[in-house]
Amino acid sequence: MKYLNQPIEEIHKLLKAKKIKPIDLVEEAFDNIEKSDCNAYITLNKEEALKEAKELESLPVDNILFGLPIAVKDNIVTKNLRTTCASHMLENFIPIYNATVVEKIKEKHMIIIGKTNMDEFAMGSSSRTSYFGAPHNPWNKDKISGGSSGGSASTIAARDVLFALGSDTGGSIRQPASYTGIVGMKPTYGRVSRYGLVAFASSLDQIGPMTKNVYENALLLNAIVGHDEKDLTSAKKEEEDFTKLIGKSIKGKKIAIPNYFVSDIVDDEIIDKIKETEKTLEKLGAKVDYIDMKYLEHAVTLYQIIAMGEASSNLARFDGIRYGHSKENPKDIRDLYFGTRAEGFGKEVKRRIMVGSYLLSGENAREYFYKALSIRDDMKQEFKNVFKDYDYIIGPTTTTTAYLLTDPMDDPSKSFMDDVLVIPVNMAGLPGLNIPIGFDKNHMPIGMQIIANSFEEAKIYSLASALEKELNLDLNPYGGEKNE
Amino acid sequence: MKEKLTKEEVLHVAELARIAVTEEEIKKYQVELKKLLNDVEKINDVKGYDDEILIAPWSNNTELRKDEPREMLDPKKVLENAPRHSGNYIQVPVVIGESEGA
Repeated sequence: MKYLNQPIEEIHKLLKAKKIKPIDLVEEAFDNIEKSDCNAYITLNKEEALKEAKELESLPVDNILFGLPIAVKDNIVTKNLRTTCASHMLENFIPIYNATVVEKIKEKHMIIIGKTNMDEFAMGSSSRTSYFGAPHNPWNKDKISGGSSGGSASTIAARDVLFALGSDTGGSIRQPASYTGIVGMKPTYGRVSRYGLVAFASSLDQIGPMTKNVYENALLLNAIVGHDEKDLTSAKKEEEDFTKLIGKSIKGKKIAIPNYFVSDIVDDEIIDKIKETEKTLEKLGAKVDYIDMKYLEHAVTLYQIIAMGEASSNLARFDGIRYGHSKENPKDIRDLYFGTRAEGFGKEVKRRIMVGSYLLSGENAREYFYKALSIRDDMKQEFKNVFKDYDYIIGPTTTTTAYLLTDPMDDPSKSFMDDVLVIPVNMAGLPGLNIPIGFDKNHMPIGMQIIANSFEEAKIYSLASALEKELNLDLNPYGGEKNE
Repeated sequence: MKEKLTKEEVLHVAELARIAVTEEEIKKYQVELKKLLNDVEKINDVKGYDDEILIAPWSNNTELRKDEPREMLDPKKVLENAPRHSGNYIQVPVVIGESEGA
């Protein structure tokens, strides 16, 4: 008997009635992961997960997430469970504390099943920069599952588990969610604590939930939000129920589509699907307008400067001294630093650190970094202005559907351009969600991005769920076969 | 715009980044880094923005927590992650003066 393909309320009921035990779900999840064979995990937490499941048997089933397996991206630190950031640098790193989000999912008695594959230090758009090889897309195993949260996206799309955590610095939750046909939310900057998320670009990084549907996504967000004094940028917001607007009518809602989001940078097939979805939204009573927005076409440039600059500073901590990889027999301190970093980091990471260091050095800080910060502030204002007149901004999440794992990787700009439509949201610190809206001619998923004003995640789930219900897509790549 | 950085320019950014580079890598970086640096030059195409800086996109009033003693990480556990340590100390090669090797 399989349980993880049933509605979450049903699983909860069965657990509550003691008809099934958490260990049944954990065993099923590991069985699924083995069958999927998508290289979605860097480390499996089998022994500990089974032990925890056993221990839960004596506890009351006190919340809907109780006893459910969850996958955690491998840049979120987990006490006593290897956390590699998909890098040789941290290949053997065992954290000695938990990230705040990990403490929170443990409070709900969720069970960490393993640490998911990703781009090295979350730098990339296809998870192919992983030291451990790229994860595969369950819709077509020759294709990428996107990045950087590619492993989390792959394992959710494959229906291995119900829940995964990802992180999104420049689209790293939404873009892989789009490529794999799942729901991925980047919450408002400050909504979820970053404590224990290995820093890439601190002013942009945000942890968020990845799930197969909207309702489960909102449930996981419920569990991980909240002010945290260990994260200086954590917002002082009351916890709220993000499912509260699910199922409500979207009649009269005003939606904007920026013209840039449907310009010639996007594949025709995807634009057509967005136009179809526009009709669906109008049918549901929403009003859709096309608008012009300033700065969108500059977002990638701003991102390159800010993200590479911040990364070069954040990754300075990897020195071969306190933890992580260290060069053998260094001849002096300089050799230790230079050798450790040359050996420990992969190509993409080195490139970004080098360019970032250059951008922050001397006069360049003013020429590039400060200028980028100023423009980012203006871009944020531009979004705020749109939200005076509109409830939502929508558009495609990606310019193409998932491409082949074997496609060339020699253009250093490519991984940034894959994220051209998702980066503006990080620049403005806004919440954004990917929702699957259909398939291309090769039956690869197409995703749409829903953006709202700061801290309006509940409103995003409302629109997403209305669309999900109306479209009623079959989003199981195995057509239910695997779980029968 | 020129297509390649000079070897010296690559060595300069590698020095800033504290990353050792081989002759072969330098050749690749001359092209790859130049491509990225050309990308970021596009910031000069942005016009009409307000020149005030906001460091974080979330402009909340950050508050420092109270400076009170609290549970600390166990030094023994911390040291276990250090590649080289001795007693309660992390070992590093000679930092000041003539290097005699690690």
